[in-house]
Amino acid sequence: MADRLASDLLRPVFQTTRKFYALIALLSGLVLCGVAAWGYQLYYGFGVTGYNWPVYWALHETNFVFWIGISHAGTLISAILRLVNATWRRPVTRCAEVITAFALMIGAMFPLIHLGRPWLAFYLIPYPSERGIWPNYRSPLVWDFFAINTYLLSSLLFLALPMIPDFALIRDRATGLRRKLYASLSLGWQGTPKQWHRLESAMHIMALAILPIAVSVHTIVSFDFSMAVVPMWHSTIFGPYFVAGAIFSGIAALIVVMAVLRKALHLENYLLPLHFQNLGKLLLLMSLLWGYFVFNERLTAWYGNSPHEMNVFWSTQAGEYSPLFWTMVLFNFVIPFPLLAIRRLRSIPTAVVASSCVVVGMWLERFLIIVPSLARKSTPYSWGSYSAEWPEIVIMVGSFAAMALLYALVSKLVPIISIWELKVGEHPRMKAAATVPETETAGELL
Amino acid sequence: MSHRWGMSVDLDRCTGCEACVVACHAENNISTVGPEEAERGRAKHWMRVERYWEGEFPDVRLKFRPVLCQQCETAPCEPVCPTYASSHTPEGLNAQIYNRCIGTRYCANACPYNVRFFNFYNPVWEKPLDLQLNPDVSVREQGVMEKCTFCVQRINAGKIEAAANSRELRDGDIRPACVQSCTANALVFGDLNDPESAVSRLSRSPRGSKLLEELGTQPKVTYLERELWQESEGIRRG
Amino acid sequence: MKAIYGLYETPEAAQRAFSGLRASGVAASDITVMSPEPLEEWEFASQDSKTAMSWIAVLGAAGGLATAYLLTAITQKIWPINTGGMPIVSNWTNIIIMFELTMLGAVFATVLTLLIAARLPSKLSRLYDPAISNGKILIGVERPQDSELDRIERALKAADAEKLGRIV
Repeated sequence: MADRLASDLLRPVFQTTRKFYALIALLSGLVLCGVAAWGYQLYYGFGVTGYNWPVYWALHETNFVFWIGISHAGTLISAILRLVNATWRRPVTRCAEVITAFALMIGAMFPLIHLGRPWLAFYLIPYPSERGIWPNYRSPLVWDFFAINTYLLSSLLFLALPMIPDFALIRDRATGLRRKLYASLSLGWQGTPKQWHRLESAMHIMALAILPIAVSVHTIVSFDFSMAVVPMWHSTIFGPYFVAGAIFSGIAALIVVMAVLRKALHLENYLLPLHFQNLGKLLLLMSLLWGYFVFNERLTAWYGNSPHEMNVFWSTQAGEYSPLFWTMVLFNFVIPFPLLAIRRLRSIPTAVVASSCVVVGMWLERFLIIVPSLARKSTPYSWGSYSAEWPEIVIMVGSFAAMALLYALVSKLVPIISIWELKVGEHPRMKAAATVPETETAGELL
Repeated sequence: MSHRWGMSVDLDRCTGCEACVVACHAENNISTVGPEEAERGRAKHWMRVERYWEGEFPDVRLKFRPVLCQQCETAPCEPVCPTYASSHTPEGLNAQIYNRCIGTRYCANACPYNVRFFNFYNPVWEKPLDLQLNPDVSVREQGVMEKCTFCVQRINAGKIEAAANSRELRDGDIRPACVQSCTANALVFGDLNDPESAVSRLSRSPRGSKLLEELGTQPKVTYLERELWQESEGIRRG
Repeated sequence: MKAIYGLYETPEAAQRAFSGLRASGVAASDITVMSPEPLEEWEFASQDSKTAMSWIAVLGAAGGLATAYLLTAITQKIWPINTGGMPIVSNWTNIIIMFELTMLGAVFATVLTLLIAARLPSKLSRLYDPAISNGKILIGVERPQDSELDRIERALKAADAEKLGRIV
């Protein structure tokens, strides 16, 4: 059993198909287009974008918040489910953690992309410079710097540590250069009880640590908006609202990625309908939670009837941005709710449809938080609008391609389902192993 | 005694001629951006004259409000700048330090008056207009935020001049470009710490109010008008 | 010789080998166990003592907290700049930096402890058999005394070893 498991899951690492090369070529091309668009923006000036007075934040910042939001997939699945001992999580944890790592890296590019003078971005690093000045720790952007770096480092470690035994697995089966590579990657792992014990303790502690970090990261990203006295930004609900939205979009992204992996890598025996069912239920929960937060935010604004806020409110409910707003509601709530709530409808295809809608809907939500408020600030003479130009759109497409590219490359480097964790799930965890009836053991296989 | 610079704008005198806007451009090396870019919203009018129509025909009234950086005492643009490019001087000015600016544009979003402008492109002056640049003011490159400074170069020049002549600064010694060029004498600039200065007296006038005062930014520009504006949905953009 | 070991298909067999070795007089600390997955519910794989890892993580967190406090408070005082009337040493906002560096300290301390305690990275020069990656469990003795060799071999064989290996 263990043998077949390992060979199934290691097949993508050891065998490369022609389709893979084609995919890599295509994705690399798109990423290069994105990079070129950024180069164009740097060379010709920020004015090539659609940004203007007063809409100084638009697509780049939307993408920033969007990708950081997507990165909350791994944390929820890995850390929370690990801490509550939900055994069904095992095939899913690494997929999710990889999403987190890459979404964070891509998200962290956007603060650089949106800067007017990115070559001076190092001003944000706290070091004793010859200028004698330090970053302004009162600024939410500096909080972003610390939070995202902390989360990125922690997530990378959280992802990399359980990979060590799997690297050892590959080392033992590989030959030549590949063997040398994995020998160094596995750090000489042998699998003694001491090493396993230490590894699992470390994972436990990191799961505990990474949860508050994840909550703090998206809260701090929300502070980028709520700290400014801009109508419909300066709301105390933003912290929890953003975290819930992040987990929501993260789970949706995870479902989509898992469905793609299942088909592309023939993992039908490992990523089971059960996993999609469970994640689908979580997605439903988050959809309801998201609806709750949006209702809270909107009702408070409408009931309070403050003139500054109502200008923004009506522009999203009935004015210029209403098509986007109602599309968002459709994609985030109206479509996913029946597909996920009605058991007969909940299946892998419907979960993927619901999730894809949610990914689009959540992107729209970020856009609708940022742009309408800036377009309708407190003095009517300075109201404006925004329409995207091609540089920011191409950069956005490049970011999606970068995610897919990184994911494809990583699935070649390491088994996308954690082999040793799956094996652990296969045998009973109780000390009195002999008393466990056969049926329960079979159920544990999942 | 230290100074605290402030301004008063008399809306009952303002004719909307926009001489202040032009003077500001000339004094502070602000480039024009051309009609296409202006249409896209990239114009950088540190001082702008907002035009509002009030009422319905035939009882229509035309109102002008010159808006510039309010140099807020508790400026919302200052804490949010990650590099201290937007910070407060001991004389009460909100300083924009171009060298520190990396162009996050957070300050512009936080400003409720929308008086902060971003250099979307490197500024261009076609010959021979490049000969009229003011040597006392830097030229900002693309990616840098800028805004009204109360002509800090003139403030500094005034202080240096007074010190060189071993005398105190007098009220009216320092006049920013907009104040100097106002044809209706609607703009008055001076030291709010001097209770006898013109701007101090005008700021205590019963006609005086502050723009968006309820937001708590503590602006240092006082707007004088006989009757308050109806700032409700009735106002269309002029 | 350097080591003698047996490879076992199931944890039950490995446990029998382990008990057999203990019975023939080999100390538990002299027995080397290697497995492709953690088997903590079995006696042979849970000989390890408790770790102080949690406490070290807390220590790392404290270090991170101190670093963040000093970084923010000291640098804000070195060049005091008024921003919007906020205090120069702005504790409410510094708390956020302190939180992040606290968590980072805990994470770094944990990872460092793991690497040091598990003696990673290490060279694969010790006793090892690639069959472990195929699901076998290795029970063996390193640097056995010549006098014990027979007893050890018998104990290992008695538990249905799939393969017996010797490293000279």
